[in-house]
Amino acid sequence: MPPEASCYSRARGTEVLLYLLPSLVFLAVFTYWPIVRAVATSLLEWNISHPQPRFAGLRNYIVLAADPVFHLVMRNTLLLALVAIPLSIALALLFAVLLHEPLGSLRPVYRAAVFYPTMVPMAAAAMLWVWLFNPSIGLVNYYLGRLGIPRVEWLYDMTWALPAVMISWIWKNVGYLAILYLAGLQAIPRDLLEAASVEGAGFWQRLRHVTLPLLGPTTVFVVAVSVINSFQIFDAVHIMTQGGPADRTNVVIYYLYQQAFRFWDIGVASALTVLFVVGLLSVIAAVVRQMERRVFYEV
Amino acid sequence: MRVRLEGVVKRFGATTALAGVSQEIREGELFTLLGPSGCGKTTTLRILAGFVDPDEGEVYFDDVPVRGVPPAERGVGIVFQNYALWPHMTVFDNVAYGLRLRRMPTAEVRRRVEQVLEQVGLLGLEDRTPGQLSGGQQQRVAVARALVLNPRLLLLDEPLSSLDAKVRARLRSEIRRLQQELRITTVYVTHDQEEAMVISDRIAVMRDGRVAQVGTPVELYERPADLFVADFVGTNNLLPGTVTGLRDGWAELATPAGVVRGRAARPLQSGGRAVLAVRPEALRISDGTPADVGVPGRVALSQYLGSLVRYEVEVEGGRVLLVDVHNPKGQIVLRPGQRTTVSFDPEAALVFPEEAP
Repeated sequence: MPPEASCYSRARGTEVLLYLLPSLVFLAVFTYWPIVRAVATSLLEWNISHPQPRFAGLRNYIVLAADPVFHLVMRNTLLLALVAIPLSIALALLFAVLLHEPLGSLRPVYRAAVFYPTMVPMAAAAMLWVWLFNPSIGLVNYYLGRLGIPRVEWLYDMTWALPAVMISWIWKNVGYLAILYLAGLQAIPRDLLEAASVEGAGFWQRLRHVTLPLLGPTTVFVVAVSVINSFQIFDAVHIMTQGGPADRTNVVIYYLYQQAFRFWDIGVASALTVLFVVGLLSVIAAVVRQMERRVFYEV
Repeated sequence: MRVRLEGVVKRFGATTALAGVSQEIREGELFTLLGPSGCGKTTTLRILAGFVDPDEGEVYFDDVPVRGVPPAERGVGIVFQNYALWPHMTVFDNVAYGLRLRRMPTAEVRRRVEQVLEQVGLLGLEDRTPGQLSGGQQQRVAVARALVLNPRLLLLDEPLSSLDAKVRARLRSEIRRLQQELRITTVYVTHDQEEAMVISDRIAVMRDGRVAQVGTPVELYERPADLFVADFVGTNNLLPGTVTGLRDGWAELATPAGVVRGRAARPLQSGGRAVLAVRPEALRISDGTPADVGVPGRVALSQYLGSLVRYEVEVEGGRVLLVDVHNPKGQIVLRPGQRTTVSFDPEAALVFPEEAP
C-alpha cells in the first residue's frame, strides 16, 4: 500500500470512530457493561442467607443445573417456541395471503381486524384473556360447552395452562407477522406469478413453487423475530398465571424475575441472565444460519 | 393459428385502455402492436394472454371465442418485459416448469428442454440461476420457456426494452429467425418503431386505445394514414401552414418557410390548417443560389457519417428540417452558417389536415 493511502485510511478510521462514538458510548454504558456485570455477579453467592456477596465460582450454575424448577422452566420456554412459532407463522401467512387477494371494500376492515391485537398493550390483552379463559364465566368455555366439550379449568389446569398462554401469545403476535408477510407478498412482481399461471400452475402450485420460495428472506426475519418474542414472554405470564399452576407456565424470563425480586437470590438470577443471553443468541444464530443456506435473496 | 379481435373495449376505472379494437392476425405472421406508452398495446396483449377479459367485444382463436378461458388453456407462450424468470430456479427448472406440471416423464422433459435451449443457443447453461446470466441470456431463457410448450400463439411484451443496443439488434434478428422457422403466429409489442419495422410482417400503430393504421413496414413508411403515423413511424419533417390551393389530389401550402406543394393524403379544405410531411432522405440541398425552387434556409448543423451527411437546416419561421444526403462522396459538404435552399419532389411529400391538439 502506498504511504499516502495508509495515511488516508488511518485518517478515515479516526473519522469513522468519531461518528460511531455516541452510539458506542450508549451501548457500552447500557448494554456491554451490564453484561459484564451480570457475568461477574453470576459468580457470586449473594442472597438472603448471604447478604454480603462473596465469590462462589460456578456454584450458581450448579444450583440451577440441579434445580427441577429450572428444568421445567426450560421445557416450557422451548415448548412455547416450538409450538407457538410454527402455528403463528402458518396463521400469519394465511392471513397475509388473504389480505393480498382482492377483497374490495372488506379489505380495510379485515386488515384492521388482523393487525389490531398487535396494537393492544400485552398487559391489557392478557387481562382480556384472563376473562375469556375464566372457567365459569369465560367465553371460551361457553362456546366449547355449546359444542358439547366439557369444561376446562384453563389457567388453573396443569395441562391446559401453557396452551392457554400460547393461544394468547399467538393472538397477540400473528398480526405483526402477517403485516411482515404482506409486505413480502407485495414485493413479488406480478409477472412471476402470471408466468406460472400461463404454464398451468393453479393457486396452490403458484403458492408453493413461486410465492413461498420468494418469501424466504421474509421468513428468516419472521422466525428470528418470533424466537426473540417467544423467549421474552413475560407480561402475559405475569398477569394470566404468575407462572402457575405449579410452575407449569413458568418461563425463563419470569423465573429470572422471581429469583431476583421474589427470592432475592441475585447470584442465581445473574446466572440465569447469562444463560438466557447466551441461549437466545445461539438459537438465533443457528436458526438464521440454517435458513439462510436455503434462502434465495436476489430477485 | 388465426386470431381475431372484434370491437374489443377495456376500461380501467375512468380510463379507457382500449376503445374498440377490431383486428385480424393471420396464421404464422409476426404482428406488431406499435405505439407510445398508454396506447393500449400491452392491454391488448394481456387480453390475448387471458389475464384480463374485455369489457365489450370478443377475441377468437381460430374462430373459437376465448372469453373466460384461463391463460394455461389458451396455448399461448409469453415473454414478459422483465423476463419474469423465477430467480430461485435454475435455467433448466425455469424452462421445464410447465412440462413438469403436466407430469411429463423425466426423460421427455430433459429432451424437450435441451431441444429448446439449443434453439435459443443456451445449451450448457442449464444449471445456472437467472442471477448468473446476462440480460441477453435471460431473455433467451424467457423465449425458451415460452416455446417449450409448443404454443399456438407467441406473445412478446417489449421483450428487448431493457437490453443495450447491440444485444437488442442481435436478439431481434434471432427472434425473427426462430419465429419463421417455427411458423408460429406471434404478437409483438413495442414502442420502438425501428424494432417494429425490422421484425414485423405487419404492424398495427396504436394510439389512445385505437388502431391508427395497419400495414406492412413499407406501407406505413410510404403511405402513412395520418399525421400521427407519419410522425411516429420513421423520421419526418413537418411543416404546418394554410392550404392555398387544391387541384387533382395536390395541395399547395403557405408556410412561414415559404410556399410548398405535396400530395393530399387526406381530404383537405381550402384555407384550412394543414401539415406537410416529407422524409429527410427526400430532401435535396443546394448551395443556395436564390434562383432555386425551394425553401431558403441556413445550415445549423452538418454531421458527416460516412455513408450519409445529415444536415439540420433552419428555415424561415424557426423550423429545423432534417436533410439526409446519401453517398456524399465527391459532393461538397456544406458548413454550419452557410445559406442554402432545401427542395424536394412534391411526389414525395404528403399533406395532412392539422389535428386538434
